[in-house]
Amino acid sequence: MLNIKIITILGANGNMGCLVSGIFASFGNAKVYMISRDIEKSKQAVQKSTQSVKADSIISNLIPATYDDLKNCLAESDWVFESVTEDLQTKININQLISENVKKGTVISTGTSGLSVNKLSNSFSDEIKKKYVGTHFYNPPYNMILCEVIPTDYTDPELLASVKSYLKDVLYRDVVEVKDTPAFLGNRIGFQFINEALQYAERYRDNGGIDYIDSILGQFTGRSMAPLATTDFVGLDVHRAIVDNIYQNTLDYAHDSFVMPGFVRGLIEEGRLGRKTRCGLYQLNVHADGSKIINVYDIDSKEFRPKEKYNFPFANKMIASFREGDYQKAFFSLVDNQSIEANICLTFLLIYVIYSIFATKEVGEDIKAADRVMASGFNWAPPLSIIDAFGGVSTFKRIALERLDKDYLNRVNLDFIIDSVPASDFDFRRYFKAIQ
Amino acid sequence: MEDVLVLGGAQTDFERNWSKEGKSAIALLKETIDDSLKNVGISYGDIAELNERNRIACFVGNFLAEYYVNQGHVGALLTEVNPAFSGVPSARFEAACASSAVALDAAITKIRVCDYDVAIVIGWEMMKTVDSKICGDFLGRAALYEREAMGIDFPFPKLFGRLTDELIIKYNLDESRLMENLASISNINYANAKKNSKAQTRKWFMSDKQANQRGTATNPFVGGKLAVSDCSQVTDGAAMVVLSSQRFASEFNVRKEFPVVKGWGHRVAPIVFADKMKESKEIQYILPWTRQTVLDAYNRSGLTVNDIDFFETHDCFTSSEYMAISAFGLTEPGKEYEAIEDGRIAFCGSKPVNPSGGLIGCGHPVGATGIRMFLDLYKQISGNAESYQVKKADNGMMLNIGGTATTNYTFIIGKQ
Repeated sequence: MLNIKIITILGANGNMGCLVSGIFASFGNAKVYMISRDIEKSKQAVQKSTQSVKADSIISNLIPATYDDLKNCLAESDWVFESVTEDLQTKININQLISENVKKGTVISTGTSGLSVNKLSNSFSDEIKKKYVGTHFYNPPYNMILCEVIPTDYTDPELLASVKSYLKDVLYRDVVEVKDTPAFLGNRIGFQFINEALQYAERYRDNGGIDYIDSILGQFTGRSMAPLATTDFVGLDVHRAIVDNIYQNTLDYAHDSFVMPGFVRGLIEEGRLGRKTRCGLYQLNVHADGSKIINVYDIDSKEFRPKEKYNFPFANKMIASFREGDYQKAFFSLVDNQSIEANICLTFLLIYVIYSIFATKEVGEDIKAADRVMASGFNWAPPLSIIDAFGGVSTFKRIALERLDKDYLNRVNLDFIIDSVPASDFDFRRYFKAIQ
Repeated sequence: MEDVLVLGGAQTDFERNWSKEGKSAIALLKETIDDSLKNVGISYGDIAELNERNRIACFVGNFLAEYYVNQGHVGALLTEVNPAFSGVPSARFEAACASSAVALDAAITKIRVCDYDVAIVIGWEMMKTVDSKICGDFLGRAALYEREAMGIDFPFPKLFGRLTDELIIKYNLDESRLMENLASISNINYANAKKNSKAQTRKWFMSDKQANQRGTATNPFVGGKLAVSDCSQVTDGAAMVVLSSQRFASEFNVRKEFPVVKGWGHRVAPIVFADKMKESKEIQYILPWTRQTVLDAYNRSGLTVNDIDFFETHDCFTSSEYMAISAFGLTEPGKEYEAIEDGRIAFCGSKPVNPSGGLIGCGHPVGATGIRMFLDLYKQISGNAESYQVKKADNGMMLNIGGTATTNYTFIIGKQ
C-alpha cells in the first residue's frame, strides 16, 4: 500500500482541486498543500474543503500555499495532483514546473476530465513518466465516489496497481480503470445522453423544448436530476468542452449525437453558462419576499418563460407504480404506451443502455464498468440494471428491435453489443424515483 | 417445545431516502419481503399454501407509522404487498425502538409452542418524511412525553447526554477519558459500516480526531456532552427474517443447518430516566434491568459471555453502547473503558461489537432496528456477512432497547 503522508494539489482554488483536497485530507489523513496563484483563494479553498467532507478536524491537514511555495511543497510530497484549468497548454506549463521540482519516486496524477493523459505525460522525463497517471474524480467527490484511473503507455504497472489500491482502500473510491480516450468513460456515456437530449429539445422546441424533454426524462427515468437540469448545473461551457472534445477526437456510430445544438452555443456566447451564472437553460429568479421562480429558455423566441408543468399519462402511470413498488408494471406502462413522449423516453433508455455497453467495450476494463461509472459518477440507473428492469437481455433486445428506428439499428451491431451482457450487480429499484 | 430456526432474510439499503424517492411504505415492504423470500427460497405461493393449513403468521415491528406516514393498522398493510397475505394472521408490535424485538419475541414464542411452522418477522420505519427537529419530537414519545420531551428540542440526545453525566458520577470516571472512549465507539462503528454495503454512513468520513472535536460547526453538541458524532442518524429502512420450526426446516432443506435461537431476555425498567437512576443508586450496574435482560438470555441458553463470539448492540448513542459493554459482562461495571482501550470490541478484537456498524454506522430506522440486529446475527453465524464477516461466529448476542433502556430485549442465536 502506498504511504501517502504529504500531497500537493495544484489548482486547489478550482472546484475539483478544492474538493479532492478534502478527500485526501480526510480519508487519507494526508497533509495537503493547496496551491493556487492567490493565497487568499487558497485560504478560502481550505474552508470550502473542510465543509465538503463535513469535518473541521481536517483543517490542520490543509495548508494554503501559492506557486511561490511550490518548490518546497514538491520537495516534501509523496503525491502531486494537478487540477488546473482544463487547457492543454496550461497543463503542459504546470507539468514543466512539476518536472523541475518533484522529488524522485513521487506519484504524479492529473485530474483532467478528458484531455489525453499520454499527451500530457510528454512534459516529463522517461523516469517521471513511469509515475504519472490520470485520476479523474467526479463532482462532488464526497457523494460521487467514482474515480477513473487512466494509465499512459509509460505508467509503471506496479505503480498503477498501488495507486488503484490506495484510491479504493484508503480514499474509498469506486475505482475504474479506463483507456486514455476523450472524456474517458463516465462522461462519454453521460454526455452522449445529455447532448442528445439537448438535440431533442431543439427538435421538439414547438412542444416545449428544454423543460418538455426534461419532463420526459425526469427522475422517474432513473436519475436524481433531469438531464438538461444536470448540464445546467455542470455548466454549459464545461458541457461544450466535453462534447466538442469527444466529437473532434472520436468516431463511432453515435458521432452526430455529440454535436452541440446552436442555441446552446448562443447561450454560452451571451455568458449564460447555467446555474453558476444564475442563467443558462434555466433561470432562477428570487423575489424580494424570498419566493423563487424557475424560468426556462424558450429556444424559438430566445426568451425565458415560466417552466411548464407537463402532464404525460405514461409518466403518471410509471410514477404511480414506482410509488407502490410495482416496478414491472411501471416498465410495462412505458413499453405499452405509443405516445410521442413515451416513445422518446423509451428510446433514450434503450440507446443509453446500448451506447453505455458499446463505449465500455471500447474504453472500460470490463462490461460491468458501465454500471459502476454511471452509478458512482452520475447517480443514474446503471445500464445493465436497466436490462434487468426490462426483464433481461432477450426482452430488452426484442423491445429495442421493435421500437428503435431502422437507421439507428443499421448503425449499431446490436447482437455484438447486447448478447453477452452479464446480469447487473446493481439494484435498479432505488434509481427509479416516483417523482417527475 | 420446538426449536426456532432462522432461515434467512434481508434488509433495505439504509442509505436510501424513501421520501426523496417519492415511495410509499408499501413499496418499502414489497422490496423487503421480495428480497427476503428470495434469500430464503420461499415463494408467495408457499405462503398461501402454508396459510391454507394455518401454519404461517406475520409479526410486524413499527414504532410511529401514525406520525411519520399517517398510517395505523400496520399489521394489515402486508395485504397490500401481495394477495398471498390475504387471510394470513398478522399484527403490529410496538415498544419504541425495541418494537421489532417484541415482534421477534412473539414470533419465536408462537413457533416454540407449535402454533405455527413459519413466521415472517418484519420491522420498518420511514423517518425522513419530516425534518430532524420534528423527528426528534416524535421520538420523544419513547420517553414519558409530557415530563421528559414535550417542548424540548431533541429530547433523546439530551437524555443519553444525562446518562453520560451519570456514568461519570457513578463510577467516578475521568471525563476526558470517557469522552475519548465514546469517540472511539463512534469511530469503530463508522469504520465497521464502511465494510457493510447496506450501511447508511458507508461513504461518510469519521475519525477519532473528528469524533473527539465536539462543539465545532461540523460536530455540534446535541445533548449535554454528546455531539452529532455520538448519535445515530435519522434513517429510513426495513429488515425482515423468516423463522421456522425445526420440523419445517428439515423438510424445507434437509442439507442445510440453520442458526437456532438459543436464548432471550425481556425486562422493562421505569420509563422515566430519573427514576431509573434513583432505582440503581445503590446497585453496581447503572441500568440493572438491562444487565438482567442479558443474564436472562445467558441463563436460558446455558451460555456465558465466554461463549459469545460477537455482539450487536443498541448504540443509539455512544453512551448506550458504553453502558452495554458491562451489561454483556465484557467488563466489570465502571470498567467499560478496558474493553474499548484494549481493542476487544473492535472489528478484529476478541469480542467484536457491532461488526455491522451498529445504529451509528449502519443506521437506525427505529422500528426495524431489532430485526436488523437479529438478521446480522444470522448473517454472521451462517457465514453470509460478506465483507463484514467476523472470524469466529458460533454464537452471537443482540441487545435492543426502547426509550432510555426502558424496554430491554436480548436474543442469542448460534450454530445448532
